[in-house]
Amino acid sequence: MKIWNDTQPIFIQVRQRIIDLILAGTGDTKNPLPSIRQIASEFSVNPLTVTKSYQSLVELGVVEKRRGLGMFLSKDARTILLAHERDNFLNEQWPRILAQIKSLDLSLKDLMQENAKQENAKQENAKQENTMNEQNNGKQAK
Amino acid sequence: MNNIAATENENIVEAQGLRKKFGANIVLKGIDFSIPTGRIYGLVGHNGAGKTTAINALLGLTNYEGKVRVLGREPFANRAELMADIAFISDVASLPRFLKVSELLDLMGDTHPNFNFEKARELLLDTDISLRSKIKSLSKGMLAQLHLAIVMAIDAKLLVLDEPTLGLDITFRKKFYQRLVEDYMSENRSVLITTHQVDEIEFLLTDLIFLRNGEIVLDSTMENIARRFSQVFIDPNKLEQARQQKPIYTRVQLGQTIMIFDGVEQEIAQNLGTLSTASVSDLFVALMERPSGAMENSK
Repeated sequence: MKIWNDTQPIFIQVRQRIIDLILAGTGDTKNPLPSIRQIASEFSVNPLTVTKSYQSLVELGVVEKRRGLGMFLSKDARTILLAHERDNFLNEQWPRILAQIKSLDLSLKDLMQENAKQENAKQENAKQENTMNEQNNGKQAK
Repeated sequence: MNNIAATENENIVEAQGLRKKFGANIVLKGIDFSIPTGRIYGLVGHNGAGKTTAINALLGLTNYEGKVRVLGREPFANRAELMADIAFISDVASLPRFLKVSELLDLMGDTHPNFNFEKARELLLDTDISLRSKIKSLSKGMLAQLHLAIVMAIDAKLLVLDEPTLGLDITFRKKFYQRLVEDYMSENRSVLITTHQVDEIEFLLTDLIFLRNGEIVLDSTMENIARRFSQVFIDPNKLEQARQQKPIYTRVQLGQTIMIFDGVEQEIAQNLGTLSTASVSDLFVALMERPSGAMENSK
């Protein structure tokens, strides 16, 4: 039931959910975003909190309020959001990750090697899946 | 938010010096509070703290001393009139068991001026309740849903819910509150909820009132609560320093000391360990266990 952490104000956390929604979605500027009421109901938070979250996205220039129609993505929503989220990552999360990397005594070489290993594994998996799909398709064709 | 300025002088509920005694037993010791529009108030307290008595006074179900206005009217003398604009689910709610659901809707339509028959029917479509069912054959969860559908279909300005989800399982409770936000809440309506499962609705609430032994111990917006109270997982090397900040509550959990502070500046609190927001239930324990209320160093 506990879907929120208690270290950040709730409106920030709701805003993050909306941001995730926008970044994940193929949203366009023509269709309205979920209404304040929908989000409030979905997350069981009060509508004033959602209003505040949307308001801060309006201030960022990500969301536009169209009178009587609801909330819409602005034209440059994705660009602004990506810039904002990258900034956020580099300033907030990266220092912590960096500290962890240092405390674990990992070198850049280690990290790159691990990266290559994982990329390889991914490609292997994809290959296997492809051959399996081909086999399946072959069976079905027969 | 533009609704704040507009509501300043039109509170839905206004209570000043609300006092009630049963014989020698003083249940409410002269409490003051108000509920503006567009808010969801949580009224929390132990059993016997006076919650239901306070609600009954607002609804005109009991006489009292002091001044109470609900939608501008004195409730005890104007109960019938007020009921057109107030909806209420009591913790001992009982719907007439011998009726069918459809008959209950008819009855509501005939007797309540602001009851929207069609809306009630629509709301029931989303449930497993059939209009032909006898009320006495419904499960506890269905009864709560039926009750909610009926009060939602009333075009009320104030909705009072006294332990509305008592005895319901978690799915039903969740659904109940989702419906409440979706179908009822708006800028010119307010809700007053009492519940013991307060952690479940802490983010639903806009305001919180703690009642203890007939007195208000805390009456604040959730925003101010987050600003005023801080919970800190204390750094073991800073225990003594932390104690000097006079925590209102201390508990030890797996060797970790957790303290709640009232009105300690964020920078100072941050310095003592890991800062977080106290949950409503932690605050409840912190404020209700104290020998004296928290009001003296508030605001």
